[in-house]
Amino acid sequence: MQTFFNGIITGVIMTLPALAVTLLFGVLKFPNFAVGAMMTVAAYLAFALNAQLGWPLLVASGVAALAMGCACIGIDQLTFKPLRERGAITLMVASLGLGFILENIARFAYGNTARSFALELARPFRFLDLRMNREQIITIVVATAAMLLMWLLLTRLPIGRAMRAVADNPALALVRGIESPRVIRWTWFITGILLGVGGVLIGMDRALEPPMGSNYVISVFGAAILGGLGSPLGAFAGALIIGVVSELSTLVIAPNYRIGVPLVAIAIVLIFRPQGLFGQPYIRK
Amino acid sequence: MSAVLEVAGLHAGYGAGDILKGIDVALEKGRIVTMIGPNGSGKSTFIKTLAGLLPARQGTMKLDGERLNDLSPPKRVRAGVSYVPQEYNVFRNLTVLENLKIAREFMAEKRGNGSAIDAELIELFPELPAHFGKKAGNLSGGQRQMLAFACALAVRPKVLMLDEPSAGLSPLLMVAVFDKVKKVNAMGVSILMVEQNAREALRISDTCIVLAGGRVRSCAPADAVLGMKDLNRLYLGADVL
Repeated sequence: MQTFFNGIITGVIMTLPALAVTLLFGVLKFPNFAVGAMMTVAAYLAFALNAQLGWPLLVASGVAALAMGCACIGIDQLTFKPLRERGAITLMVASLGLGFILENIARFAYGNTARSFALELARPFRFLDLRMNREQIITIVVATAAMLLMWLLLTRLPIGRAMRAVADNPALALVRGIESPRVIRWTWFITGILLGVGGVLIGMDRALEPPMGSNYVISVFGAAILGGLGSPLGAFAGALIIGVVSELSTLVIAPNYRIGVPLVAIAIVLIFRPQGLFGQPYIRK
Repeated sequence: MSAVLEVAGLHAGYGAGDILKGIDVALEKGRIVTMIGPNGSGKSTFIKTLAGLLPARQGTMKLDGERLNDLSPPKRVRAGVSYVPQEYNVFRNLTVLENLKIAREFMAEKRGNGSAIDAELIELFPELPAHFGKKAGNLSGGQRQMLAFACALAVRPKVLMLDEPSAGLSPLLMVAVFDKVKKVNAMGVSILMVEQNAREALRISDTCIVLAGGRVRSCAPADAVLGMKDLNRLYLGADVL
């Protein structure tokens, strides 16, 4: 039961980056492998505001997430926009390079030493025979709230509907009067916020170190592919499944090998249900 | 009667070659114009170029005197050009209501009143409200075509361009579609239609333009073209009429 709960926490942490991956893939049709490094940079920014300037973590995280949202718009303008016409493979390779650069910016600034946010130590407590700590509860609350806000945005607000419309059929979106550049900017901004919050949650769960985000990339992509790339609900479900199965796998295999779980999930999904659990079959338009 | 849409010397195409080789067309206000021609004659290319999905290499396109050439597709929609593609003409993963809302939402700044759906649209498409909560991808072919129609009309266009609106529909649904086209036209919307079911389309049209080899071969009153015996052989290359 405790392992299952730990898996839920691991999955919940992955929901936000998985949603960022699936949102961006839906609108821009390329896998952004810089998500891990983007989370790392946002987490270090929150660390700088929280541990170095003494801001409360909640405020520091909010500012870091907003800053990452704005930074993502700038990154898109400088890195991805000029390459947009060259196809998904070029954009994917660019994202790999960008991830390398961002991770090393964090490394140059803070070194390889593991750091942690300035949080008061709190004693873990028991609930229904489960041992949990304050950070895990914060993680569940924040991730759930973020997912609800994302659901509201995507289903209730015009910009959310426009993002889904562009993801569904970009050419039709144009002739329905939807300005793609505006939708793309919003998508990057929201992606940045999700990655910013996700980075802080990872930093709270583990420690802050340069590869902290990259360590999650395979699991995050596994979650997004399992749920169905482009499906927000799928990203949520995929993250929880990958998280729980990864943790449960440690009961039968050495913990070092649990990274294989998302890879196996990706392989199984691509063979038997390429569109994932909640994705739509791909139709070339 | 004045022209709402004027096209002069239009060249456009894919890759190196031009598919449209100097098209001159004028669509008069409140008229239905049907464009016919053999496969590959450039009918769909013409409509896509007007919608802004393909750039014009030469020539001018004007809507009510406003030059369209330099406008992006969304700006052309705001100017008053609405386009219903032949396939994939609704957002499959959005509900019917969301499809209608999105069609109107981005028009609020210039045309339309900003509200999602108006009574006029529902009166024209009374079958749609029953499906508001359904994903558009789950609709039948005829229902999808009606939704696409409604979405294109939600932006209150001056010119509605339809690419093969009856493609893949049963004869009964085809009649229903052309009936809607007439009703839409009666609301004052000028219509430019590309259609393979030429006989049915010409019955409701005012003017027929015959396109072949990327050029306008004929522009005549629709009823006169309907009466021509050898039009199939001359322009369509098949027994379409």
